[in-house]
Amino acid sequence: MSTVEAGMHPAVAQSLLIGKPLRIRPFLIASLVAHVALFGAVAAASYLRFGATIDLNNQPIKASLVRLGKPRDPKLLPRIQETPPEAEKTTTAPDPPKPAEPPPAPPRPTPDTKAVAISPGPKKPLEQSNADRRKQLFSAFDRSNKPTGSRTAKAIEELEGQPDGDPRGDSATQEGERYFGQLKAQVQHYYDVSQTIPEQERLHLKAQVIVLIGRTGEVLKVQLAQRSGNELFDSSVLAAVKKASPFPPPPDHLRDALQRRGIALEFRP
Amino acid sequence: MKNPATLPSIAGLACCLLVDSAGAQVPVLEISGANFRPMPVAVSAPQSSDPGAQVKSAEFDSTLLFDLSASGIFQVLDRKSFLADRSEGVTASSINFGRWANVGADGLVKTQLALQGAQLQADLHFFSVGTGKEEFKLTQSGSDRDVRKIAHLLADALYRSLTREAGPFQSHLAFVKKNASAKEVWVSDWDGKNAQLVAPGGPNILNLLPALLPDGSGVAFTTYRTGKPMIFLQRFGSQAAPLVRSDHMATGISFSPDGKRIAYSLAGADSTQIWVAQADGSGARQLTDTPYFINTSPTWAPDSKRIAFVSNQGGSPQIYVMNADGSGVRRLTFQGNYNQTPDWSPRGDLIAFTARDERKAFDLFTVNVDSGKIARLTQDQGDNEEPTFSPNGRLLIFASHRTGSSRLFVMSSDGSNQLPLPMESGSYGTPDWGR
Repeated sequence: MSTVEAGMHPAVAQSLLIGKPLRIRPFLIASLVAHVALFGAVAAASYLRFGATIDLNNQPIKASLVRLGKPRDPKLLPRIQETPPEAEKTTTAPDPPKPAEPPPAPPRPTPDTKAVAISPGPKKPLEQSNADRRKQLFSAFDRSNKPTGSRTAKAIEELEGQPDGDPRGDSATQEGERYFGQLKAQVQHYYDVSQTIPEQERLHLKAQVIVLIGRTGEVLKVQLAQRSGNELFDSSVLAAVKKASPFPPPPDHLRDALQRRGIALEFRP
Repeated sequence: MKNPATLPSIAGLACCLLVDSAGAQVPVLEISGANFRPMPVAVSAPQSSDPGAQVKSAEFDSTLLFDLSASGIFQVLDRKSFLADRSEGVTASSINFGRWANVGADGLVKTQLALQGAQLQADLHFFSVGTGKEEFKLTQSGSDRDVRKIAHLLADALYRSLTREAGPFQSHLAFVKKNASAKEVWVSDWDGKNAQLVAPGGPNILNLLPALLPDGSGVAFTTYRTGKPMIFLQRFGSQAAPLVRSDHMATGISFSPDGKRIAYSLAGADSTQIWVAQADGSGARQLTDTPYFINTSPTWAPDSKRIAFVSNQGGSPQIYVMNADGSGVRRLTFQGNYNQTPDWSPRGDLIAFTARDERKAFDLFTVNVDSGKIARLTQDQGDNEEPTFSPNGRLLIFASHRTGSSRLFVMSSDGSNQLPLPMESGSYGTPDWGR
């Protein structure tokens, strides 16, 4: 300061026409740092999008794929539902025989066919004559029974569902977005978990998997976003997604979101 | 002064962008209802170096294999699907786990037998094929005459180690064996082996509906030895004696799980009613009072405070529940029109029963005591009836006509994994699975 003022008159030194040394360097440095931080943050956000976008308190979507069929009479005892038939196949046989071998992944394993042969034909009269005391006692109940009606076997065989349902549906009622229902049904088909996991532990198991789905339904990425604490369970849910892929092509309104952000599958036993 | 003020504003901007980029939430799709499946395990043949132990090997092996196969938690791989490597030992370092993974095993069970005098020692090693580690080793020993018992003890120990629940393999089974002219009550190990005749039959002597005492010290049953049905108690090692004294026909006894009371039905001229008495038969009291209707087949809740039974007071035989003093009668089943032979699970949540469906087939079902929801366990496999729960509530034994004569089968309580008990041929019925 003293050097500037030394060579000129003070009034001149205060004139606006005289150039002064600019103190812009600190601002430049601050701006540079800010931009680097900003771009770094944006890059990190886009890279770590999986972790940043999960809100564990977010209400999960419940979706089910309604099955094609007719509702079952609620007064009848339930029947174990066979695996839904292929969409393009239509059986016309009047009395279709039961498949001898269980399907590859039915909802419940059917008994070993070697050990459990299907009893042919009606009961023999000899067996009935040997009926024990309990049966004789219960035969008294028969008198008060009413006939069950004339439902044909074919009508009973039809699966419960709705007229606009999907042949692969697993529920009698529609709930939520149809595509999510398809995803759920497909993953659930392969959602196999080891029976050896203790029941007390099953109550607390929860794992989240993020899946990115491409335009044609292919799985772009699968990542375990939240571990359950049980290795068997974690490996089971990852295996379920991998076995279930590819999925059906997403509808237009979901395509972009499923490809970029994906969907979180929250698995509970 | 300006720089410190600038930095927070920059950080704030960055945070806004983070939130903005994350603004659209990832949808969370809930998936539940896992298909719990048995773990595929390979059980290799027992290894033993001394000839004495090798003699016991086959019986030990078959007993352990059936226990594990029926357990519901394992899918025991057929030994034909893999070749045994005799040189492979029982330590993790000596096992080629890749080979076991290739045959589809997630778990590997290896056993060793050693005989010292009359003492047989059995070691069981359980390996996780995926990690290639020995998870645990279990040891049991006993008299060489108790090979089956040692195998059952090991199966129970393995079950408990994995599930942290008691296994059912040391329990007992009472059942009726039907001959041409008689029906006899037998008591055996849980798998039908080691069966002992308890109540011999004779010409026109029928012994029916056995019920094991909760402490396993005897069995009560309905017998026609005096001409009309009566309930007798046979304590093991002593003579059978009448337990219920009545002029009416007494049938279908059930012990309360605390061992203090019994429930049974007495049939009069025009109705059948449920009665409850002390465990020794004293202090009998009528619980149901529905003239002209039939109330029968009582079964106790695990807390001994409620009783489920069959009644046709609503027009057709259905399952009902009431308090143990006869109050609070509630109909539990509303589907089907012929529901009978209830058995209350020791876990308390389910009652298994036999029902005749609209195709006139007898099949097994469970009803949830709280929700009333009915699940089907058997279907299209001949007639199936008279379910009885295992002491841990995980398995059911029942009688099935699927192979012609009536045989006893075991299955998981969800109806999966139905296997015939390894009993000699004959006609069997009304099983009761106790401790």
